[in-house]
Amino acid sequence: MSALEQTLTGDARERAKLLDGYVPLADAYDELMDSGGKIRPHWQELVASFAALGTAELERRFATADRHLRDTGVFHRVYGSGEGERVWPLNHVPLVIDPVEWKALEAGIAQRAELMEALVADVYGPANLVRDGHLPAAVVAGSEDFLRPMVGIDPKGGYHLRVYAVDLGRGPDGNWWVLSDRTQAPSGMGYALENRIALSRSLPDIYRAMNVRRVAGFFQTLRDTLNQLHERENARVCLLTPGPLNETYFEHAYLSRYLGFLLVEGADLVVRDSRLAVRTVEGAQPADVIWRRVDSDFIDPLELNPGSRLGVPGLVEAVREGHATVVNSIGAGMLESRALMGFLPALCQHVLGEELALPNIATWWCGQERERGHVLENFDDLAIAPAFNASSLDIFDDGPVIAGDLARGDRKAVLDAIKRRSVDFVGQEVVRLSTTPVWTGKALEPRPCVVRAYAVRTPTGWSVMPGAFSRVSERLDARAVTMQSGGRAVDVWIPAEDDTPQTTLLTEPDEVQITRRAGTLPSRAADNLFWLGRYMERVEACLRLIRAVAQRLSDRDDLDNRLIARLRGALVGLGALKLEERQSLNSGDLVAALYDPKQFGTALSLARSARNAASGIRERLSPQAWRELTKLIAHLEKPLPPTATDGDIIDAADEALDGVAGFSGLSQENMNRLLGWRFLEMGRRMERAAATCSVVERFIRGEIVRGGLDVLLEFADSQISYRVRYATSAGRHAVLDMVVLDGNNPRSVAFQIGVIARTLAAMPIQQSDGLPTQEEKIAALLVAELATTAAADVDAATVGWVRMQVMKLSDLLTARFFVQGNVSVRG
Amino acid sequence: MVAMRYDISQTTHYEYANNVALSSQLVRLSLVDRIGLKVIRQRIDVDPTPTTQRAFLDFFGNENLWLSFLEPHGALIIDTQAVVERDAPPPPDPRDTPAWEDVRAACAGNLDPGPDSPAHFLFPSRRVSLDPQITAYAARSFKAGRPVLEAVTELSNRIYTGFDYAPGVTDVASDPREAFDLRKGVCQDFAHVMIAGLRGLGLAAAYISGYLRTRPPPGKKRLQGADAMHAWVAVWCGDEHGWVEIDPTNARFAGNDHIPLAWGRDYVDVAPVKGVIRVSGAHTLKATVDVVELEPERPLVIPA
Repeated sequence: MSALEQTLTGDARERAKLLDGYVPLADAYDELMDSGGKIRPHWQELVASFAALGTAELERRFATADRHLRDTGVFHRVYGSGEGERVWPLNHVPLVIDPVEWKALEAGIAQRAELMEALVADVYGPANLVRDGHLPAAVVAGSEDFLRPMVGIDPKGGYHLRVYAVDLGRGPDGNWWVLSDRTQAPSGMGYALENRIALSRSLPDIYRAMNVRRVAGFFQTLRDTLNQLHERENARVCLLTPGPLNETYFEHAYLSRYLGFLLVEGADLVVRDSRLAVRTVEGAQPADVIWRRVDSDFIDPLELNPGSRLGVPGLVEAVREGHATVVNSIGAGMLESRALMGFLPALCQHVLGEELALPNIATWWCGQERERGHVLENFDDLAIAPAFNASSLDIFDDGPVIAGDLARGDRKAVLDAIKRRSVDFVGQEVVRLSTTPVWTGKALEPRPCVVRAYAVRTPTGWSVMPGAFSRVSERLDARAVTMQSGGRAVDVWIPAEDDTPQTTLLTEPDEVQITRRAGTLPSRAADNLFWLGRYMERVEACLRLIRAVAQRLSDRDDLDNRLIARLRGALVGLGALKLEERQSLNSGDLVAALYDPKQFGTALSLARSARNAASGIRERLSPQAWRELTKLIAHLEKPLPPTATDGDIIDAADEALDGVAGFSGLSQENMNRLLGWRFLEMGRRMERAAATCSVVERFIRGEIVRGGLDVLLEFADSQISYRVRYATSAGRHAVLDMVVLDGNNPRSVAFQIGVIARTLAAMPIQQSDGLPTQEEKIAALLVAELATTAAADVDAATVGWVRMQVMKLSDLLTARFFVQGNVSVRG
Repeated sequence: MVAMRYDISQTTHYEYANNVALSSQLVRLSLVDRIGLKVIRQRIDVDPTPTTQRAFLDFFGNENLWLSFLEPHGALIIDTQAVVERDAPPPPDPRDTPAWEDVRAACAGNLDPGPDSPAHFLFPSRRVSLDPQITAYAARSFKAGRPVLEAVTELSNRIYTGFDYAPGVTDVASDPREAFDLRKGVCQDFAHVMIAGLRGLGLAAAYISGYLRTRPPPGKKRLQGADAMHAWVAVWCGDEHGWVEIDPTNARFAGNDHIPLAWGRDYVDVAPVKGVIRVSGAHTLKATVDVVELEPERPLVIPA
């Protein structure tokens, strides 16, 4: 009995429940159901399988997918909302597209990509299309992405476009329409990949049974395509990102990691003598292929937008001189203008000699008299939109508007603007999008969707991803123009037509050239790793101190007021508490020291700083390490009430310490002992040495107060070792020996200094004379000093001096490896 | 009009507080042959000597000099010296120019992809965004059906009389809106305001940087902006008349007293020196300009 028959009999009730509230919109195409309310054939297996699983099991499966996305940190940054990173909501029901229909779409997408290439090549080349009257000059000149310095520069390798994306919608008649072309720096394919992984893991049986076409092969093609643009062996493609503040930064990090590209920001790159290089901790390393996720205009402040801080001064010159390849070419974004859309059917005939297979929604550019007349006559039935990127009217801040929906004042403003500067506007047909099922938690409901498809140019033509990134709107309004932001992501499933074997996610192992080279470590990444190490260590110091204080407070009877004052001083010194008149401490203070998000040195703030540093190097951290960090922050974001007992505080600090240990363990065990790890390690060791010195200094300055030495032992996590070694209670010399001088105690200052000295020796040396660097000299001096000092001679001045030297080391390291000098652009 | 000969010299002197380790500069200080302008001779001296240099014509036909310095230096001095012959074509009679609405339609439908196409000067540019208030200000000169150059001349005159020439109020990075609100500024601001107004109405307007003769002819008033680089506006007046240059700072058509250096959509396209330096600390800039009128040379008569 087939799954379908089963559904009709045994699972009929489940199926009815699933589809109970599923009512397609009257005037839109529904992907799942035909107009007679029947499930379309290519969906039947999915619906049957859902019904067979039942609501409870589906909910459990979908939770798995959500957990996967949350744990791997798939997020999308929301600008200006104050929310920071937000998990991308995934609709758990894939959009299934009929394989025969997809084949036609593929051909249409490839044709369109070819047309786009021909257009951009002409616009930046001979400009015959304008000269011969096929395209008004203003349609080209009006785009902010028509970048005049690029005119006359032939792209290296012969093509402007290597990656093309297109937003598609399906109209009520069942035909697909192009809503917009994406040639600048199309986003979303990384999300498509992540969504695919999440969904195929939560629905593995259904995924296999439906023989869904894999997308991994497409990404291999993409990687090979970009790698082949290199002139040099072993060079790496640089993925140029605007940085962690960009809304799609996760995707940049994810793709660079997945594809083996080097993730760089503009400041990581430098052009010297028209040649492009990456600044690394080993000096400038040549680079020649840039896959950009920075918009063209921002890519070179010298020849393009002088206000840009995201670009690389001189990049245009490097491209002009043929020393760098930028994908897609700088300026390719001019193809995205709406003004161009109205001309495409005729241009396709003229340029390719073919009918445009995948038409865009009907568009009239008001710069032409006849077209303007049409728009003004049919004004209320059309969508009005800026013809190019920007508009002087804030009515269009969120994109196109439906003229019929405009308030009277706005309507007049738009009409006046069209009459005055008609070149700035287009009218577009209002298309109603098709709907696809979303899961509401109980049942399926229809929601409007758009589909973004991707293609990459291979030596044999365009290859289209057999899958896509789709978005559904939360609202039921199916008009295309209302679908701006928000909504949920949807994976697109194309069942294979036959049983062709599917490409796996990884390359054939034997195709991989064996290498042990570390690859390139950009200075910025090294800087972030160093600070990640420092912040994580500072979180630990903060937690240990809080824990030690809580221990003391819970044992109130024999508490010395001076000890309290010093403990408070130590917490203030770390920045976990504000400096106040009072010298007392209570559990409320400890709760604040753990969770206060406004104070810079609390456990929560420090953990967040660690995450900020980590978010700039996402591609270098293992997903597990990121997960540990995320869990730690989540734990610290659920504060104890101010009334918490000292016991609660100890438990909370212990749990957080477990998280820190988990993170440190993963970095110890899972990171290759290569350059990146050394910077992380260096940060941790310097911070631990400095923090230990600072606490020791505070507790041995002047008279030692009762209980102070126990706090030191506890802070340095050395009570057990101490008790094993000494039968007596804590004595000054023995404690200082153990916490400061003992090179065998992994918590002692001397141990940290030893590691620092060894790590420094393994650092890339940029000094050509072979003499020890100043850092090495300081480390040697510290090692010698700690090795030759007797415990009896250790005083506040000694540890103070050690701390100052460590801080100096940190500054020197920063100057040598991270600091690049300020860049100033003027003109 | 009699052709004029000028000896133009300009010094641009950057002084850095600390040595600059790495510097890339885009210099637009070379005069090129244009309609009504012939460059007889010209030289540019750069100190220190750049590590690499390359000259190319940019999209708008201005000569760009790409300089790259890889050796530390504490100052950058660019000296230019040129002798040019200026014979500006006379402007058309404003009354003979087409109605401004027809010119606007011709701008939108223009099929010239080249640098002189009005299409490039029709849209907002980096420094000149379209401003409804400036557009409304300009619109008062553009009554329905009025010949375009008549309206443009009136707009130029209104800026001349309505704005104070006041150096130091705005700076090189100012937005046209700033000068418009203050009704004060220098040549750059007046040109930007006029361009913003014209583009707001759907007309094509370009920014021209250049020089003015320093000493006025006997008995004439010294022109505003003669001791520094100057800027004025070109307006496209339809296929027949093409571009007409007009100077709102001095309320006149640009003629033989005006020597064009570079064309663009606004100041950013023609900025004389644009650079990226790697440096800690500030820098100072001194620029001097001198435009001396030469005795017209006796034309060389080649005996038949």
